[in-house]
Amino acid sequence: MKASTFAKAVTMAAAASLIFTGCATGGGGGGNSATDGKAVWNDPTASLEGVTLTFGGGTVADPGLTQVMDAFTEATGAKFDRIAYPDPYEQSLLTKVAVGDMPDLAAWQPTTSQLTTLQPSKNLLSLDDAPWLDDLDPAVKDVTGFIGDTRYAALVTSPSVMGVYYNKALFAQYGITEEPANWDEFIADAQSIKDQGGVPFYEAGGDQWPTQWWPQVQLAEAAQDGLWERVNSNEEQFTSPTILDTITEYQSLVEAGLFNADIKTGTVIDQANAVLTGETAMAVQVNALLLQMQSVSDTETIDANVGWFPISQNGNVATSIPDNKNGVVAFRTGDAKQEAASAQFLNFWMTTGYADYIEAANAVSIKPDVESPSGVPAVAKLISSSLGTSVGSMQSLAVANPDLYINLANMLQGTQTPEQVADATQKQFAQLAQAQGIDGF
Amino acid sequence: MTVLKDTPGPGSLRGKRQGGSTRRDYRRIGVPGPGGRGINAERSAYPSWFLWPAFAILAVFFLLPTVLNFVYAFTNWSAYHDGVDFVGWQNFESLFTNGDVLIALRTTLIWAVLVALLQNVFGFALALFFERDTRINRASRAIFFIPVLISPLAIGYIFQALLKPEGALNGILGGVLGQTVTIAWLGDTTWTILVVSIVQSWKWMGLSMLIYLAGLKSIPDDVLEAAKIDGAGWWRTLRSVRFPLLAPAVTFNVATALLGSMNGFDTVQATTKGGPAQTTEVLNIFIYRTFGQGLYAQATTMSLILFLVVILLAFPIIWALRRREKQLL
Repeated sequence: MKASTFAKAVTMAAAASLIFTGCATGGGGGGNSATDGKAVWNDPTASLEGVTLTFGGGTVADPGLTQVMDAFTEATGAKFDRIAYPDPYEQSLLTKVAVGDMPDLAAWQPTTSQLTTLQPSKNLLSLDDAPWLDDLDPAVKDVTGFIGDTRYAALVTSPSVMGVYYNKALFAQYGITEEPANWDEFIADAQSIKDQGGVPFYEAGGDQWPTQWWPQVQLAEAAQDGLWERVNSNEEQFTSPTILDTITEYQSLVEAGLFNADIKTGTVIDQANAVLTGETAMAVQVNALLLQMQSVSDTETIDANVGWFPISQNGNVATSIPDNKNGVVAFRTGDAKQEAASAQFLNFWMTTGYADYIEAANAVSIKPDVESPSGVPAVAKLISSSLGTSVGSMQSLAVANPDLYINLANMLQGTQTPEQVADATQKQFAQLAQAQGIDGF
Repeated sequence: MTVLKDTPGPGSLRGKRQGGSTRRDYRRIGVPGPGGRGINAERSAYPSWFLWPAFAILAVFFLLPTVLNFVYAFTNWSAYHDGVDFVGWQNFESLFTNGDVLIALRTTLIWAVLVALLQNVFGFALALFFERDTRINRASRAIFFIPVLISPLAIGYIFQALLKPEGALNGILGGVLGQTVTIAWLGDTTWTILVVSIVQSWKWMGLSMLIYLAGLKSIPDDVLEAAKIDGAGWWRTLRSVRFPLLAPAVTFNVATALLGSMNGFDTVQATTKGGPAQTTEVLNIFIYRTFGQGLYAQATTMSLILFLVVILLAFPIIWALRRREKQLL
């Protein structure tokens, strides 16, 4: 009996130690030093028979992506395996990357704060000398996709921008003939609409994430002045007056009754309908709102009913916030052939296949020599033309992305004051910056 | 094979020792054991290596992650850099100075208590309702057990749709009351936690019902007859005879409901995602959010804290319930 217990104990200990050692090295599973991490640029239509590329994306279908993949398969023979990561998309993909199970390519938000989470120096191919870069519109070419000076993400469509979507009929009805030229005029227009019995703004407090645009659009001039560099080095915080005042301003606008009655439960779908049909006059949102409108209506209706202008504290400076539909990253899987194939696909996408892609995506082209499709709404063109004088958002310029929107949504629900919002956001930002090992935190 | 002292069994009356020694004499009773090795023979009724595969699976999928939980909580593991270094108590310090963990813990405790209470009340009521073995009752028991088998995420999504301001529940209420009802059941910062606990209790009440039914059926008939003869009505019998005798079932149900729902995640995530304003953010959702930001070590520390809290709760609760059992039975 004793011998058999002893034998059992020894076997268990041996098994346990084997498992431990096996698991202990699992942490560094991602990224390989087998290749040097620089993309190799082959001819876009060179044959890739027998190669299968995995492309990670969200669960929503993307007609432009489908088109360019089919075109590439036809041109080179390479096949695609599309992996739809469940929401929340970034989290799902990050989890896979953490265990080393990465796709060859993935749609990813090309901002600094989002790219950092992928540990690009270890996991991504650098796209510094990509062949299509010189053909891009100079206004957007270098606006995003970088960590430091290295380019890790390819921009494929015009970056998303924060701005004001308004209903043209309501503006006419309430006697607003000119777009406001600064924040004070913007609020004065809103007040005028309210005084005449209309609903000036629609906020999707139920969905939470659109709330963060309100403080950010007010910070455009400050961002141009280097606000986010100072925040990144802890010289300024979210609790400093520059940012705190914008949050307090947002709260005071809500308290002044300038927003929709169902602000606490409103969704982005409701928001799009409200502006499109004329229930509310304006909404501060990003390109996602236009996409939502396009999914329920057609270009003609949108062109007839919806206008757009950027707004900032002292002018009309737009704040850009590229989203995960704008960028694509290629992963450093360690297999040289796969990596070259991924790079080749990006090359094909942005050169040979771009015209057909942009037609299928019905989006604004970022290459001056490729015309945007005729079916693109006028709003999309306005947005794209604002990029020349735009400035980056918190997501683009800050080193980390705290959950500002959750705290702002709590403020709308009445459980946090503006000071608490700023405080909670700063604590979270400091925690993330510290995890990255940034000086000053 | 254990033989009770007062049950006449082979050889038990033969040669009972002077002074009434209670030491079981297996040679007398004749229990077969490999080689008849005396007092330990009872434990060798089956070979111990039958258990090793199960132990191996338990070790890899339960023991190992728990141990690693202890290890990683003291490191700086995150998505932002390679390599994992020990940082001592830093994660615990920063979590407790932050205070969010304590808020999430409080929400989780409230949630667990509500679910334990409601699940047992519903389950017990159902067990009493479907106690008799008629065809309808047997079919109904099966139907009420179906929610237990459905995925919690599916239930969460269905109820989220039903409880919308323009959803089915408000539609039914509106039809009954004759006016438009637009209550935001999942939008109240005070009461939504109660609504979500009701959804969770609804899902699991079938299981509680089953355990209570088994308990009710195991009450000896002669006790109930005696109560009836003594003139006790249905309610009196329930209160003074049946409920006390259900103590083991109560122990099991309360313990599993309370401690199991401390680990709750799926239903809450699917219905409210922790909202509105994080008033239903149970600790597991907070951990999920932290993990999503790439702060893996902090998330592990929080799971460790949850683990310790559950253990701290489990011992007193189970001890108290078992003591009640022994007192009543």
